[in-house]
Amino acid sequence: MHSKPKVIWIDAVGCNGCSHSFLNLSYLSSLLEKIDLLYHPILDSDEFKIQESDILIIEGALKEDFIKFGKKLEEVIEQLFIHSKKVIALGSCASFGGMFGEGLIFNKENYGKYYTCKNKIINLPGCPIHPEWLGYVLDMLINNRNIILDEENRPKEIYSYVSHSGCVRNEYFDWKVDAEDFGTKEGCLFYNQGCQAPFTHSSCNKILWNEVSSKPRAGIPCFGCTERNFPKVNLFKTDTMMGIPSKIPLGVTKRAYLTLAGVAKSLKNERLEQRLFEYEEINNKNRG
Amino acid sequence: MKKLITKIEGEAVLNITGDDIVETVEIEFYQFRGIEEYLKGKHFMDALVINPRVCGICGHSHLIATAKAIENAFDAQITNKAKLFRELTLNFEIIENHIKWFYITLFPTQIKDKKYMFKALELSQNISKAIALIAGQYPHTSYAIPGGITSDITYVELAKVKNLINEILDKQTLFDDLEIFFANLSKYIGKSNNRFLCAEEVELSKIFEKKNQNQQFVTYNNKFYEVGPLARQKDNIKEIYQKYQDSIYSRIYARLFETIKLLEKNIQICNEIDLSELSYIKPAIISNKGYSIIEAPRGVLIHEIEILNEKIVDYNIIVPTQFNLSSSKTMYSVAQQAIMNEKIEYIDTIFKCFDICAVCVGH
Repeated sequence: MHSKPKVIWIDAVGCNGCSHSFLNLSYLSSLLEKIDLLYHPILDSDEFKIQESDILIIEGALKEDFIKFGKKLEEVIEQLFIHSKKVIALGSCASFGGMFGEGLIFNKENYGKYYTCKNKIINLPGCPIHPEWLGYVLDMLINNRNIILDEENRPKEIYSYVSHSGCVRNEYFDWKVDAEDFGTKEGCLFYNQGCQAPFTHSSCNKILWNEVSSKPRAGIPCFGCTERNFPKVNLFKTDTMMGIPSKIPLGVTKRAYLTLAGVAKSLKNERLEQRLFEYEEINNKNRG
Repeated sequence: MKKLITKIEGEAVLNITGDDIVETVEIEFYQFRGIEEYLKGKHFMDALVINPRVCGICGHSHLIATAKAIENAFDAQITNKAKLFRELTLNFEIIENHIKWFYITLFPTQIKDKKYMFKALELSQNISKAIALIAGQYPHTSYAIPGGITSDITYVELAKVKNLINEILDKQTLFDDLEIFFANLSKYIGKSNNRFLCAEEVELSKIFEKKNQNQQFVTYNNKFYEVGPLARQKDNIKEIYQKYQDSIYSRIYARLFETIKLLEKNIQICNEIDLSELSYIKPAIISNKGYSIIEAPRGVLIHEIEILNEKIVDYNIIVPTQFNLSSSKTMYSVAQQAIMNEKIEYIDTIFKCFDICAVCVGH
């Protein structure tokens, strides 16, 4: 592209969380200089109008009879879609419908309205979107590079990993030491607390949130927010069958996983069976 | 005349009469998502994931309100450590909200210069980072749960958090930029009814919420009240308030004052926290009703929950924007009064000085 690519960012049915999440991108100011941002839900731009764009970013879900700029949302989206070269379905709502409506290519259980145009669309699920994931996609598009997509139109460079990859609780997962309850840095959240990281396509623990952390690092189970069925019910509880997690890590058979888990559990890692360290009360000693 | 207002985390329409001066104004929000219905039948813990998605900018307030409403139903106790961490991260959300609102939402209504937006981003990214160090990520963490918090923070993270706060305090130029904003704008416009409400004084029985598709109607004691930073800080900025009353200047000043005050408060909290205390105490689950009333960035936020056999039977949310941006033909809300009798050219600035959240309204 000779001139700067024209970008329109439109918010459909959602919470604006993806807009705000993207504002946390550390190289946002230099990225914004490489594009011509015609409209954005939060950042200052010219008044909205239907016009051509090189990249159309749709944040939020589609929903019948939802009003946008005084018109029907679906008509606004359709017009923008027709006049765009490439479309990014941003966040889980636009990708799969999420909590509020329907996705562009996919819904939770069937195809979306734009399934037949899927070659034009890149899905970037996540609730909200990770700022660096969108930063990377925009950088690739600005430089006319090809993005390899998986069968759900997600960039493989981001979604080939699972959320589990790089988690600081991995040792506990490997040695089958579960967190007894919430609020400790020790223990794996996969067995009781509902963590979906071993089978959720995302790189949250490789490309850290806000460059410093992730939910499981802060003791919050992964809610599988990049997946088509987000949000499932009972998000803080592991679905089990006869005491065994009913969903197992991606890529292994249940039998292989159970064999390995059984061996790991029988060969104790004593270091992991106790707390890493404990703080002493500071009240009287240090404060006088 | 109909005027569409955008870039307020959604949109609103103002129906205005008058030529140069606004005679009457009605406010319409029309983007509803139905989160209260969505919650029904779900496990009460799921509300901790769903409710932050009410809003991309103040979702953490919805998380804290949810955890507290459930704790109220269970009569659950939390440690001082958990309480202080929640206060710390909620303060950060308020700080980030005010900085973004000032530079990104309000500034362009008067001054078109992208440099202010970049100023906001530089500060707000560090605030998000401080929250993430404690709560894993921002936006949309779910680290506050009934009984405390999920994270087991070390002094390593706290040292980084304190350093981030100090950097923000050193870099910020909020009050210089306030005067730049008012270079060609009267400080006396946008006055309203001088009635204020804070979370600590709210009695739930005095709240009235009329469920109406397009127009909001939330009163306290049958009157409209202003909620938010000016309500919280007016006694701390007495000279400004006495001079400018509840004008646009006082509203903005209160937000900036609160930003600095909370940054300083957060350093104090970091120094006070005793990490030897528990993060979480498992609560006893009972079927009951509960509620919470907290101060979100934009004012009083109320959550009410009814739990039966661990499932949500009923949920109700009242957000700050519903108080400030109510609309009525018979008695005028805080924002209606602020806009009426002012020049039409000031509408965008006066309207946005309330820091409106349309997605919150459309919960």
